[in-house]
Amino acid sequence: MRALFLLMTFGGSLAQWSVVPALSLGGVTPDLPLIVTVFLALRRGPETGCLAGFVAGFLQDMAGGGLIGIQALTKALAGFGMGLLVGRLWVASPLVQVPGLVLLTLAEGLVRYFLLQLFHFPASLGALMLHVILPQALYNGFLGSACVLCTIAAVAMRRRMWT
Amino acid sequence: MRLHRYGLLLGVFLVCLLLLTVQTRGGETGRAADVVALLVTPIQGLLVKVHRGALGLWTTYVDWKSVRSENTVLRAEAERLKLQALQVEETRQENARLRRLLALRERLPLSALAGEVVGREAGGWVRTLTVNRGRGSGVARQVPVIVPEGLVGRIVQVSARASVVQLLNDPASTVGAVVQRTRTLGLVEGDAGGAVRLKFMARDGAQVAPGDIVVTSGLGNLFPKGVPIGRVAAIQDKGSALFHFAVLAPAVDFARVEEVLLLTGQTQQDMAGLFTPDG
Repeated sequence: MRALFLLMTFGGSLAQWSVVPALSLGGVTPDLPLIVTVFLALRRGPETGCLAGFVAGFLQDMAGGGLIGIQALTKALAGFGMGLLVGRLWVASPLVQVPGLVLLTLAEGLVRYFLLQLFHFPASLGALMLHVILPQALYNGFLGSACVLCTIAAVAMRRRMWT
Repeated sequence: MRLHRYGLLLGVFLVCLLLLTVQTRGGETGRAADVVALLVTPIQGLLVKVHRGALGLWTTYVDWKSVRSENTVLRAEAERLKLQALQVEETRQENARLRRLLALRERLPLSALAGEVVGREAGGWVRTLTVNRGRGSGVARQVPVIVPEGLVGRIVQVSARASVVQLLNDPASTVGAVVQRTRTLGLVEGDAGGAVRLKFMARDGAQVAPGDIVVTSGLGNLFPKGVPIGRVAAIQDKGSALFHFAVLAPAVDFARVEEVLLLTGQTQQDMAGLFTPDG
């Protein structure tokens, strides 16, 4: 459990620095730590989601050189929120997970924007939404669906091997 | 449980808020900000190292992938160039052969026709070449066939567009010959094993020795005089027998003949001087 948590959180952050720049499409990159946070929250609940989001966001803040704590907070909130939804909404289906990931990315972006506004962040929301948050949300949704399909295939294969 | 859950969230929230406050209170000169920077900078340095390592690993993987595909492309290119080089070499050699053949034709005091070898039969029963010159080109039976190195054989069969050349080492081939140094006359015959040998009268050929050059004798007017046939490689002394045999190393490597000259004209001139040892 702990190993999986650490592996996914640190692995996701590591991949964000190494592999993700190569996946850039027109300057838009997916937010892999957020995807990892969401998956951990869906599988392990709000506490794990919150912690994973905090650690992943903290690492991103540190690596990014900006205000430390912004992404740690937004991702912790995202992980916690997604974890809470597990018991209340039917989020096991990929058809819910993928749009959910898109919406969550949008929400995380908005929260991050408003938090940064408190510290006099200069960019306008419209431009940020158009060029950064929305494209990244769509990319996250696309990558998330690929991850979901891979997970389903892996689980099915494992079941077939055991039976 | 629920309390614990929200407590965790609250804790995270407070930590983040504290971090943000400490970093922003008092501007860049604030003491708290300095403390955070002091704590954070080594960690950031470590993260940069990890970042670089991860990036390096990824770049190595990407490079390895591109090297693999590049390797495939370069291999194909190398194969293509190798083939091209072989073709160039082939053309160069053909060019050299044809130049030598042309030079010989210009030196010859009789009319000659150039032909290309289009078939071979070297099974042992017969040893022949097929050339792409036939009746249509004025070729007739018994026409001698030569290359710059010496005699190849004679035409034994003619069709409209091709002719069959009986090689010197064909078991049925006989050519009147003379040992250049001793002027010993004999008959050059082929045998079933593919060797060429000179049959000569023992009483006339006592002086024949290995290394002697054997050329056509010109007797019988079938082959012009002086065309190289080969060198004596060994003498088979039959004791008191009437005939002795000399095993010859043919002047021509029959397996490598590709272009030939068909001597359609006749001459009484000794042609020995027209052939050089290297062809």
